[in-house]
Amino acid sequence: MKGYFLLLLFVIFLCSNYVFAQEEQAQVDKIILNLDKQVYRGGEVVKITGKVPPGRPVYIEIASEKKVQVGRLDARRDPDTGKIPYIFYLSKDIPALYMILMPKEVESAYNIEKAKDKDWSVSRMLLTTGADVAYITPAKAKVERWQASILATILGSRGTKLEPLDEKGNRRQSMPLIKTRFRWPERVFSPTIKINEDGTFEAEYRLPENAPGGTYTVIAAVDYTLRSEVQTFKVDLPWYKVYFPKAGVSLNAIGPFLLAVAVCTFGVTMGAGGGFILNPLLIFIYGIPHTIVAGSVMPTVLFSQASGVYNYSRIKFISWKLGVGVGLAMMVGGFIGPKLTEMITLEQYKFLFGWVLIILAAIMLWQTTPGYIAKNQKEQAILKEFRRRAEEAAAKKREKK
Amino acid sequence: MYMKIEFWGQEFKANMVIGCIGGFLIAVASSMFGFGGGPFVVPLMTVLMGLPMYVVVGSSLLAIFFNTLMASSRHFGLGNTDLVLFAFMAAGAIIGGFLGPQIAKRLNPLWVKRVAVVGLTILALMLIGVIPTPR
Repeated sequence: MKGYFLLLLFVIFLCSNYVFAQEEQAQVDKIILNLDKQVYRGGEVVKITGKVPPGRPVYIEIASEKKVQVGRLDARRDPDTGKIPYIFYLSKDIPALYMILMPKEVESAYNIEKAKDKDWSVSRMLLTTGADVAYITPAKAKVERWQASILATILGSRGTKLEPLDEKGNRRQSMPLIKTRFRWPERVFSPTIKINEDGTFEAEYRLPENAPGGTYTVIAAVDYTLRSEVQTFKVDLPWYKVYFPKAGVSLNAIGPFLLAVAVCTFGVTMGAGGGFILNPLLIFIYGIPHTIVAGSVMPTVLFSQASGVYNYSRIKFISWKLGVGVGLAMMVGGFIGPKLTEMITLEQYKFLFGWVLIILAAIMLWQTTPGYIAKNQKEQAILKEFRRRAEEAAAKKREKK
Repeated sequence: MYMKIEFWGQEFKANMVIGCIGGFLIAVASSMFGFGGGPFVVPLMTVLMGLPMYVVVGSSLLAIFFNTLMASSRHFGLGNTDLVLFAFMAAGAIIGGFLGPQIAKRLNPLWVKRVAVVGLTILALMLIGVIPTPR
């Protein structure tokens, strides 16, 4: 009996040892991740601390749950086949704000990629720094693709829709979209995590001033399988800040509003709409994507144009034949243009817009020459006279009624 | 090719081929970049089509309105219209529409144009990359 009891004790001892060992193992293979606060504001620093198995590097992904639409045309010649693919990629699941923090040790690899300036690539950065293990959220973005062609663009479609990408393809194609959205390496990557010998680490991440409000997820990763639990924090917007859902940024609303008032006032004074000046400034000052700038500023003149057309038509000061004739041609142009906005990169948009502005400046310069002024004065006098007659006629007609 | 236009008792011949090709190209650029086409369509109709200013003012606005209407709905359909940004910009445009003419009365239009030429050139050089801009 005594013998059995001893044997039982021995078995229990063995088992418990095994269980303890398991637990210890589990503790070693766990990542602890802590944030100093739950709620932040744009411009504040998120302090992240934690612990990983000693000697292992750690990467931390921070992603806004707010998503934006990003599209790009792949018009880069394939070095193997020599063909330009002309495939249009689009995803509606790109985080409005995204950042991967990396260990300080990989700074040199980061700098090598960063030195490539605008030729840097997200995929190379992920591989050379090892940050690939923390590329989690955008990898799940659903990327759609179309075979674009000139004919399709003219017909106003994105092209022939191609087979949906598999998981790997999605992940691969989300990377250039991340670059399209954030443009520069320092906006997506930061080699600033300090890892101590015992595996504890600390990192700081300063939220940009224009950080979107709402929930953010934070995940720390050591390799593809060993990840921390998802932590979240919130960004609170003060009352004067507004989130622009398609642009994916929060801005002090007074700024864009005053800018619009000032630019449009000047635009009307000089005899051109505000868009010429407003669009570049929205890109330069607020970094809003060109597709969103074009798509949001274009409709602002609808009301003023509609009321203008109405006022002129009331006094019969419109040649409908001329207006509708040229207008139909312009309608076709207006059908194609917005598709092209999506197809071009920000660089191409800026470059082409620059030349449009030079043409506009040339036209305006011509309008300050003495010959033009003399002619214009005569024309304006005739215009006034005709307008007076038209208004009188319209008034008489109203009286008759 | 030529279309007869009657306007307040006078007849004009308008070259619609030039008008349509020019209008089409202006509309592509205008809708692609998101600006109004006025400063281009007016010279198109006056200089290239040879029509007098009083025929052009109202008709050009009507032509541009076609473009704005189509382009706006297309931008919206493609998911590129930020309604919040639009609201702020539209409010600015409406206020600017009231303030602009008031200010214009008090200024020499020649000088406004000259300032605009300088301003647009600087902006153009920034866009093309001749004048460096921050990232």
